[in-house]
Amino acid sequence: MKHFLFFWGVALLLPIFHFTLHVGLGIGAGAPDLLTVGLLVTARQVRTGTAAGMGFALGLMEDALSILSFGANSVALTVVGILGARSRDVFVGESLMFLASYLALGIWLRGAIHWLLTRDGAREEAVRVFVVQLPMAAAYAAAVGTVLLMVTGIWKSGPSR
Amino acid sequence: MASFEPDRVESRGRRGLILPLVFLVLSALLLLVPPATQGRVSSVLRGSVLAPFIQIQESLHQARLLSESLGDLRFQLDSTLSVLHSQSTIEEENRRLRALLDLRDRSSAGFLAASAIRSGTRGSESMFLLDVGRLDGVEVSDPVVVADGLIGMVREVGLRSALAMDWTHPDFRVSGMTLDGEVFGIVEPRQGAFREEDRLILNGVSFHTPVEDGVPVVTSGRGAVYPRGILVGTIAGLAEIEAGWRRSYWLDPSVRPGSATHVLVLTEERPTDSEPFEDLWLPGERLLGPSR
Repeated sequence: MKHFLFFWGVALLLPIFHFTLHVGLGIGAGAPDLLTVGLLVTARQVRTGTAAGMGFALGLMEDALSILSFGANSVALTVVGILGARSRDVFVGESLMFLASYLALGIWLRGAIHWLLTRDGAREEAVRVFVVQLPMAAAYAAAVGTVLLMVTGIWKSGPSR
Repeated sequence: MASFEPDRVESRGRRGLILPLVFLVLSALLLLVPPATQGRVSSVLRGSVLAPFIQIQESLHQARLLSESLGDLRFQLDSTLSVLHSQSTIEEENRRLRALLDLRDRSSAGFLAASAIRSGTRGSESMFLLDVGRLDGVEVSDPVVVADGLIGMVREVGLRSALAMDWTHPDFRVSGMTLDGEVFGIVEPRQGAFREEDRLILNGVSFHTPVEDGVPVVTSGRGAVYPRGILVGTIAGLAEIEAGWRRSYWLDPSVRPGSATHVLVLTEERPTDSEPFEDLWLPGERLLGPSR
């Protein structure tokens, strides 16, 4: 029960930290994408429908701050939530390497879907986004997320374990 | 007796797919709903769930303003006073000339000071939030300026807040002209290799009117959004020539959107349907056309 509460506490805190860093402190791209980290970690522990719902809700919050591509964040995070939940059936792992790769891949995918759904004229050049920006953002957020999850012990505990 | 377990598992699996699909369809629908609906949804979320985060940035902004050095503020005040002082006679001259020409007073724009808050989330690169809204007199399409020139316009208005786009937004357009009024064109954004390299372009300039580098370009006042005379940028070279009938020029923007934290919203009163056009003419003046 203690682990359960602790897991959900941290899972809730990650989006709050994300919006505090990005919106509250206005750090922008300098802050890691903790929203996707939180979703990816939670998605491994909940049903696919719940993960999709969480992705939708979090994406909608990000979309509320966007006038370039309203809905793109919602679609991206819903897809990431669904795939994160379904990944349980395909990949099983608790190693540090698995966690870092899982987070990095999820964050890269989220950025890629967002780019694809962004309207023409507002998109940056594909090669630079897919080869430079997204891998760097993914590596950064995955590193911060991994350290955070290992320090808090969330990754090993999970809500029901 | 045959076990029904596999069937039940299969049906649960199928049911388990319905909810994710529902959310996926819902999120896809968000891309398709009209901009007005998107604006309403955004506005509700910004005023509720996201309000604390926006409030934090507003508070930080206010604190930063308060900590600005007194010397800088004194310098700005002195500069403003000297400009006002040097122009005091011009105002009187202008009034007298208008009286001589029987011209009516010009409607003046109201300036509303506001803090520009950038959210820094994905997809929010060309927008900023303002801490003034409908209750303060802000309307959709009000221009947003800083001391150096035009920065953008208001897109959505809430009660106490507004969402504005800056000139890097792909929808941004403004009718521009050179300061001498000789050359007109449409100013629009062009994306650079990096966001910091975004530039403006003065498009649709007639081929036979070349423009020198360094010439200031201001708003022409054509259209119903931007008043005449707001600095947009300066000419920074020829961009395109098309078949001998059109030229485009690069513009160095007068304002870098990221640097603006304190802006002014121009809240000019625009004529509405309830205000008849006849009031625009002086008594005795009549529209040209056949008399009835």
